[in-house]
Amino acid sequence: MRTPASRKSTLLIAVLLIAGCTPGPPDAAGTPARPPAAPPPTAAPQNTAPQNTAPPMGTAGPFSPTDIAWLQLTVAQIERLLPVLDLVPTRTTDPAWRRVAAQVEVGRRDDLDRSRRLLAESGAPATNPHEGHDMPGMVTAEELAALRSATGKPFHRLVARHLRAHLAQSVRISTAEQKGGVHPATTALAGAVVRVGTADLARLDRLDPPATTLPAARQAVP
Amino acid sequence: MDRAAPLPGIHRRLRAAMAIGALLTLLGTYIVSTTTRADAAPGPNVIRVAEFPADCTFSHRLPDDPIIFPGLPGASHMHSFFGSTVTNAHTTLPDLQRSTSTCNPRVDVSSYWTPTLYKDNVPVEPAIVTFYYLGEGVRSDVVARTEPLPLGLRLVAGNAKAAGPDESIARWSCLHAGQVPPSKNFVTCPAGTMLESYLDFPQCWNGRDLDSPDHKSHLAYPVNQACPSTHPVPVPKLRQVLRYPVNGNPAGFRLASGPGYTMHGDFFNAWPVEEMARRIRDCIRPVIKCGADGRPI
Repeated sequence: MRTPASRKSTLLIAVLLIAGCTPGPPDAAGTPARPPAAPPPTAAPQNTAPQNTAPPMGTAGPFSPTDIAWLQLTVAQIERLLPVLDLVPTRTTDPAWRRVAAQVEVGRRDDLDRSRRLLAESGAPATNPHEGHDMPGMVTAEELAALRSATGKPFHRLVARHLRAHLAQSVRISTAEQKGGVHPATTALAGAVVRVGTADLARLDRLDPPATTLPAARQAVP
Repeated sequence: MDRAAPLPGIHRRLRAAMAIGALLTLLGTYIVSTTTRADAAPGPNVIRVAEFPADCTFSHRLPDDPIIFPGLPGASHMHSFFGSTVTNAHTTLPDLQRSTSTCNPRVDVSSYWTPTLYKDNVPVEPAIVTFYYLGEGVRSDVVARTEPLPLGLRLVAGNAKAAGPDESIARWSCLHAGQVPPSKNFVTCPAGTMLESYLDFPQCWNGRDLDSPDHKSHLAYPVNQACPSTHPVPVPKLRQVLRYPVNGNPAGFRLASGPGYTMHGDFFNAWPVEEMARRIRDCIRPVIKCGADGRPI
């Protein structure tokens, strides 16, 4: 049986041990005063480079983060435009509008297929989960609902507005991809989108001259 | 405590000597810790909350996002930027490190951005913006081994394309009106109060990647107060708190990304390594509330 004195000496030894072992701040009770500065279990970060994540390799060369973001955004933009174009033959009998919608649709479906193939080649996800609920140049669910209940001139005006916003945004980001992208087939596709999109915008302007938008809008007010 | 039979003299003398020795040892330890580590030793009045803030006023607006749409200016919905004053679609870490900042402390040249809030189609910028770095949401032994957020980390929290409140982690409430229940969408704040938004970033890192294809999955939220084995490294929880100078009926409110539940936050870490490390050591691990200077309040 241990005496109180031996208990005390045990306590003293314990105090000395604790004092000797923890010269740091007395705050880290129960844990070492200096938690291991040891980094994470694995090796050094893979991308210590200040640039974006290491580019996935495709068969035709590396894709940059800009290439991938442009491809994902292009897919999302076209997917949101197609329901608008699909409405045109059902909501108007005007041959000029039906012709423009059909022309744009053929070209954009081709761009969509090529973008999806390039994305698959890059190994990146097919969709960008952050493209957003509301994005410039993209038709919202509410706007699509409004289109579905419009006919005649109001319908033409709405289609013109959405098509113009889509094409302008598409040309804007494709110009940036053409300059800032890396993957040759992807920047080439961006160049084609800029050329065709610019021509489509000019065709749209002939069909729906921007200057007439104001009087048309005034007429719409009862 | 039970006291047994009277002690023999030898034991009594030993006991006295040991008691004096123990006192001296404790005193010595105390002096050493309060003189050499005065900066880190918690004084009697420290607040036991693991926290340090960066208060970063509004800097600028751009339809850019260097994490989601790098190199594509104009690709995004409108963002309001806080912290670094240079951020645009092309921004890289060296750009941030060379830039000035709207933050207190000035050393935080990180970039933080959120979708712009509009009231009746007019942009409204938050009047009070605080990014808290917190040691909470995990067990205390996990807090005690928190690692700094790695330099150059890019991270997104929240769901910009949420189709409804169920797909959102947003939280809207009213400053100085706690009686208004928080919601994932905008709330009606009483006159004289401010609409506020809280958003918590994930705090468990995979220890390897500064970014990931979805800009989220290199970090994870804790599970059962601990970091999961796939994301074993505890880092501070970044909490974005925005106070907007608006109240009343939220019918005219929208975010650039959509309804209130589409609130999200982007973070590009450019804290100087030693400044972040000091705050982890002096504020987060020892559970001490610090000010913007990283010293106990």
